[in-house]
Amino acid sequence: MMEVSTLTTVAFWAASAVAIGFALVVVTQRDVFRAAIALAGSFLSVGILYFILSADFVGVVQILVYVGAISVLMAFAVMFIQDVAGGSRPVQGRAVGAAVAVLILAALVFTAFNTNWSTMDEITDPFAVAALTESYVETGSGDYIEVLTQAHFVEPPIVRNQGVFVDSTSAIGVLLVREYMLAFEIIGLLLVAALIGGLLLMRNPESATGFEEGDASV
Amino acid sequence: MTIENVLLVSAILFAIGAYGVFSRRSLIVVIMSLELMFNAVVIAAVGFSRFTPAAALLSSDPLTAEAIRSALTGHVFAIFVIAVAAGGAALAFALVFAMYRARESVEITDASEMKN
Repeated sequence: MMEVSTLTTVAFWAASAVAIGFALVVVTQRDVFRAAIALAGSFLSVGILYFILSADFVGVVQILVYVGAISVLMAFAVMFIQDVAGGSRPVQGRAVGAAVAVLILAALVFTAFNTNWSTMDEITDPFAVAALTESYVETGSGDYIEVLTQAHFVEPPIVRNQGVFVDSTSAIGVLLVREYMLAFEIIGLLLVAALIGGLLLMRNPESATGFEEGDASV
Repeated sequence: MTIENVLLVSAILFAIGAYGVFSRRSLIVVIMSLELMFNAVVIAAVGFSRFTPAAALLSSDPLTAEAIRSALTGHVFAIFVIAVAAGGAALAFALVFAMYRARESVEITDASEMKN
């Protein structure tokens, strides 16, 4: 099941190569602004990787959050801080850093290729296969929908849904507000805390209002 | 394209990010490298979601909508990681601005003291 076409494989390796190339530019480029642009390119390539891996909603989130927001934040930071002229110099003893990075890579690759990962072929239930690829059939309605497991067991109303990996957005929405409700709420709290913390850190302690005099943004 | 290939790409991006964290002097580039490492982790989560079956789909119980949705747990995990990384990046840049105002520098070698 879930055969991967040659075109998909070529697209996967192309997007991976572009992402890794841009990432190498980020960590080797002295000009911080060029590093920020390369980082945006790397984020975009990784977003394309998510689309290739059938994760359409994660791909959209990647492009909205990373390419749209974080890259712009990085570019603003680079432009605000006038220290860019000196460039991003490497620290002393970066050979040690390179050695540690190669060790991490070796450990991860060894684990990835020497572990017997379970595969999708182990799924034998034909309805599970249908749910992951093309379509599945639901009967009934309400909070708990029992999926048909036997073809002859047909009760109206029957809803024919697209497979999970074909249209993941609605299934992710249900997951977020049911199984992962608490984590979802905590993420909201965390983002508010990050917002308030950012504002506090940006305060100017000498000013009465906490911000620069005549600052139009206050 | 198998799970091993996806993990290989993820590991390479993670190692590049780790090298950037260890070797760059500018705090901005260190944060960029951290974001690269977050991206590598999300690639691994999405890859596992795509290529390895959820436990509920392997059981012999009657198939439910909950079991089908559990195949997308990796995607939800990816979205949580992205949200935490976005909050962290915003906070990290506030710290960089505060340090720049205090020291006129964003190099990590100038940030060896806790007090200003």
